[in-house]
This record gives sequence, C-alpha cells and structure tokens, in this order.
Amino acid sequence: MTTPPGMTDADFADGLGAMRSAVGADWVFDQPADLNTYRDFYSVLWGEPEEKRASAAVAPANVEEVQQVVRIANERQIPIYPISTGRNLGYGGSAPVLSGSVVLDLKRMNRILEVNESNCSCLVEPGVSYFDMYRHLQETGSKLWIDCPDPGWGSLVGNALDSGGGYTAAGYRGHWEAVCGIESVMADGEVLRTGMGALPGSETWQQYRMGLGPCLDGLFRQSSLGVVTKMGFYMFPQPEAYLTGSIDVFRYEDLEELVDLLNELEYGNLFNGMPGIGSPVLSQDNPIAMTMIPPADEMNRMVQETGLAAWRASFTFYGPEKVIRAQWEHVKERHAHFQGVKFNEGDFITLPLSAEDMERIAKPRFGVPSLEIFFVGSRGFGNFNPSDGHIWFSAVIPRSGKGIIEANRVMRRECERLGLDLFMFAPAVTCWTRSFVLFAAVPVYKDPAKNQHLRESVREIIDICAQHGWGEYRCPPAFMDDVMDAYSFGDHKLRRVNEQIKDALDPNGILSAGRYGVWPKHLRDGRGA
Amino acid sequence: MISRRDVIKWGAVAPAIAAGSQAAFAQAPQGLDAFMLDTRYVDSLPTEHAGIPAICFAGDVTKPWFDTLDPAWRQRGYVLGGITGSDALFVLQSLAQQQGRRVVSQTQLGEKDERGVYPVSWVIAPVHPSVTA
Ligand SMILES: Cc1cc2nc3c(=O)[nH]c(=O)nc-3n(C[C@H](O)[C@H](O)[C@H](O)COP(=O)(O)OP(=O)(O)OC[C@H]3O[C@@H](n4cnc5c(N)ncnc54)[C@H](O)[C@@H]3O)c2cc1C
Repeated sequence: MTTPPGMTDADFADGLGAMRSAVGADWVFDQPADLNTYRDFYSVLWGEPEEKRASAAVAPANVEEVQQVVRIANERQIPIYPISTGRNLGYGGSAPVLSGSVVLDLKRMNRILEVNESNCSCLVEPGVSYFDMYRHLQETGSKLWIDCPDPGWGSLVGNALDSGGGYTAAGYRGHWEAVCGIESVMADGEVLRTGMGALPGSETWQQYRMGLGPCLDGLFRQSSLGVVTKMGFYMFPQPEAYLTGSIDVFRYEDLEELVDLLNELEYGNLFNGMPGIGSPVLSQDNPIAMTMIPPADEMNRMVQETGLAAWRASFTFYGPEKVIRAQWEHVKERHAHFQGVKFNEGDFITLPLSAEDMERIAKPRFGVPSLEIFFVGSRGFGNFNPSDGHIWFSAVIPRSGKGIIEANRVMRRECERLGLDLFMFAPAVTCWTRSFVLFAAVPVYKDPAKNQHLRESVREIIDICAQHGWGEYRCPPAFMDDVMDAYSFGDHKLRRVNEQIKDALDPNGILSAGRYGVWPKHLRDGRGA
Repeated sequence: MISRRDVIKWGAVAPAIAAGSQAAFAQAPQGLDAFMLDTRYVDSLPTEHAGIPAICFAGDVTKPWFDTLDPAWRQRGYVLGGITGSDALFVLQSLAQQQGRRVVSQTQLGEKDERGVYPVSWVIAPVHPSVTA
C-alpha cells in the first residue's frame, strides 16, 4: 500500500478508518484493483516510480461527509485531492498531483439542485456530468443548453475548475466564464459560499456573480484551496437557429487584417458563435494539423498551384434566422475588399435539432454531449487511438496574425528539432473570450524511455514559449511547476502570493498539494519530491 | 471480420469463463444481460443470442451507452459481454468504472491496425456492493 509522504502505515490506517466511519466502508477504496482506476491513463510518467498515484480514494455522498473527511485529513495531515468526475485525460486524469494523496472522489454527489428556466442558470453538485445534465434537460423539456467539451463524460464543475472550454456561444464556451456562485468546503472543514450565496435567503446567487468585496471565485480556479461542493452556471437559452459561414482569402499577407477584422466583429457582438482561423493550403494533408507556415512567396506559390485558400476565417451565429442571416451578410460585406475573396455559406439549421440533423452535426456545437471524439481516428482524422493517450499542450498566444505566424513557426520548428510528435496542431483555438490558444496534442507512450524524451522536450518547449511571452493556460501535473515558473514577473510574485494564500487558508497543506505549482509550506522546497 | 459463428461461440463460452474465478460474474446466474457488437469488426449480426439482446454500434459508444447502458448501470446487476474495437472498450471501461463495474475478462481477437486498435471480446460486470445483484 502507498502511504502519503511522511506518514506511518499505522497513522494512515487510522485515518482511513476514521474516513470509513464518516462515509461508510464501501466508499473507501484502498485495494490495488480499485486504485488502478485512479491512475492517469495518459500519464507521461506511466509505470515509473515517479508516476503520480493515489494511496486511497474516498467517495462521500454529501457536503456533511465532505466536511468530516476534510476535518479528519486536517487533524492527521493527510493530503487529499478532490476530483469531480476525474476524466481529465490529457491534463492528469483522476490522479493526484502529489503521489500518496487520498483522492476525494465526488462522483456520488451528482444532484442537479436547480435548473432555473427564467434565469437561464443551474446549480449543480460536482458529480453531475454533461450527460446527466443533458438527460435532465431533455426529460424536463427545458429550453436551455449546456456548453460541453468534446468528451461529454466529464463534469460541469471539474471541467470549469480546470478552466476547460466548449464550442457554443461567447460567455458560455469558456466554462469558467459561465460560473456564477461557488460553495466550497475549506481546509478547516467550514463551508464558504461566494458571491450572493454569502447572503442568507438571497435569490440572486446565480445572477450577480461578484457579491461584495474581492471576488473570491478565483480562489478555486486551478487551485488547491477548497473542495467545491456546489457550483452555479449561466446557461444558454436555446436559439432559434444556427448558421455557419467561412471566408477564404488567398494571400499570405491577408492574415493580419483577417484577424483584426474577426476581433472587431466579435468584440462588437456581430457574431456570437465560436470563430476560427485556419489555412486550407497548409492543412490539405491533415485537417487537424496545420503544417509550418512557409515564407510569404512560397505560401503564395502553393496557393496558386493548388487553388486552395491561404487563410480561412470561419464564423458561427446563433439566433433568430432573420438576425443571423443579416449578421452573416454584414460579415461578408466587411470582407468584400480582400483580393479574390470567396464566401462559403455553411450549415443553416433550425432548432431544436431534428433527428436527421442530430446524426450529422458536430454535437458539442449544439450543447449535445458526445464521446464521438474518441472515434474520430476511425473516420480518418489523424491517427488517434484513445487508449494510447496524449497530453494537451495549450499556450495562450497573441490574438493577431503575427501571433499565429510566429507561434506556428516556433512550435513547428522546435517540435521538429526535438523530435516531438504532434497528431493535432491548431494555432488559434477560440474557446476562451478574446484569446487564441495554440493547441497541440502530443502522443504519450507506455514506454519510459520515450516518455522521458517527451518530458524533456515539453519542458524545453515550455521555456521557449515563455521566452516569447506565451504561457500555458492549463497543463498536466508533470509540468505544473515548469509552467508556473514561466509566470515569473516580479521574482515569481504570482507564485509567492499564491503560497501566502495557501498558507493562510490551508496551513497544514492538506488540499490538492502541488496543483498548478503551489505547494504547501512543508513540501515547498522539494516540490513534493 | 469475426464471423457470426465466432460471435455465437464466444457467447457460449463467456459465461463459462466468468464462472471460473470471477465472483462478480458468478452472481449473474443467467450469464450475460446483453451483448455489445461493434459492426466495424462483426459481420452478419445476430440481433439476439439465446434470448440475450445484442446492441449494435459502429465504434462510437455514445448512443448505446446513453440510451441503454447508463440507465442499466444505475441499477443493480447487468452483466455485459462484447466484441468491439479496443478503442470502444477503452471508453466503455472508463464509463463502467464510474458506475461500480469493471472489465472482468478480455481476449484480443485479432491484429492491431495502423492506429493500434484491435478487436477484443470482453465481459463487464458489477463489482461494487452498491451495484452487485
Ligand atoms: C480526446 C479528448 C478531447 C478533449 N476535449 C476537451 C475539450 O474540448 N475541452 C476541455 O475543456 N477539455 C477537453 N479534454 C480534457 C478533459 O477530458 C476534460 O476537460 C474533462 O471534462 C475534465 O475532466 P472532469 O470534468 O472529469 O474534471 P475532473 O477530472 O473531475 O477535475 C479536473 C481537476 O479539477 C480539480 N477539481 C475537480 N473537482 C474539484 C472539486 N470539486 N473541488 C476542488 N477541485 C476539483 C482537480 O484538481 C481535478 O484534477 C479532452 C480530453 C480528451 C482525451
């Protein structure tokens, strides 16, 4: 049996015994077959002594049981690591950041506490998955949509806490941006409600996010400061219709203006769906992996030879047909001056979805959870085998044409130099408001030598990105310290303030130790080693 | 492709395999409650075998899981056998674990393709006391 670092077997057994009394013996797991399910199947340390493994898992059924478990852990200084549905594949799965932690598995807390049709919001427990919410909305005939990530098996809470993203309208698809109201069990076992939830009897918890004073929601994003037991979300009222269109331009030099225009139109609310910038000519071999952007004359020659566009801006509109058709007309007008421009009208779909449409659409764009992403490989997009695994490398880059070109070239050049495979490469993902996030899926292996090379290469890439001012928005546990190191302004003031907050709110350092590079005092020097 | 005969043969042997050392499976005396058949690997499908319904799908487990398995896995019992791609099993296995179930036997039935995916037969059975029959 793995024990938490620095604990004797006897003390740990005593702690687990107390947790059994709190949640019931059936809900404390310490046998190898059970603990296997809490491994990160996509770990870059798979099978190595440093692999991040849980010592046990505990699954409480309600807030009171969470409080008891946290108090037991705090009294005995047992590190615990809360997860909601634990599907964080590509960013750590359900394994803890500090090996030997007890995973606090909140899957049994799966009640949808409220869906408020007039307020267009919901309040949920952490174990509620996107599928659970979708089923509920279907069964109740709701007019509301959720926004889900590609795999719908994760949870609204866990995904938002890691700052995940989806594919519908602005304000909803950056999942943290749609959060309104948090309840968290703190390290001392007490319960905090943020925003208007702090005011007993308020009916505005899922309306006015800020409440009074500093907005404390941020304490819980990518953090190690609490066990979130309830979370509110704004929900998107189902629109009447959906329309997509794309605009092709044919010169390397057009990119800068294309992005500026996209920004102006989005920030001016001329479209509300997820935009995209791609390159048909550089994605002709693999639609999910843009190749290196060549020099201007070479790219322009490729365009002439193939007839494919140099760049494509894509737009998505949700709303009444009359409105979204007018918006698309306006967007086209604004692009009419580009030399040789081509307009492609895509899907127009009235909502709710017909059974026929449901079969052919990209479901997450319609708030419909799916697991289809795990089978895209079998449809010929890349060589994706879900059981091999991959990690996501996702760096925030400037939202400009220059930003795309520079990030694409640096990443492509450095990955090639380092021999780092990428099976998906998209330089300008727009789930998060006003941002481009460069996404690369890096295959992970079950072979330690290959993974060592991968880890060293990714660390180098993190450094190189930092030198350009690009930082990851999220990352797997093996790289959390490296990524936090890159946010180094003011002699690492960001990390140091986070550590001060950690010490104040969790003096025994029991919660999610090491998450995003913030270690409790007693583990700080060795960073958990 | 795996033939109809192989599917039926597998259906016949699966309960025997499980009756050996798999305590969880032994708790389901009638054997399997359903088969899952991945049409990427199994041709000429039986819609049922010995009264056991077959759930057919083509790689993507979303619909069969959402419509049939998720509701069934919220109840006690329900032993599921399948012949699917290893990619589909990976996803099903992960879903099953969340609902107190585990893969209690699996056998590779063919070569890996260029993505490393191969056909596999398996049994998923309830193991957690909250869902065992
Ligand atoms: C093929 C593929 C495609 C993907 N596509 C997307 C995508 O489109 N968008 C996207 O965002 N992600 C994507 N992912 C990543 C990931 O699968 C999802 O983000 C998933 O939703 C995260 O898992 P979860 O919701 O179960 O969160 P969890 O694993 O439960 O939580 C994530 C982390 O948040 C913290 N946490 C969770 N719950 C609590 C709590 N209650 N209290 C305190 N801390 C908590 C923990 O540190 C935990 O490790 C993809 C992964 C794969 C493999």
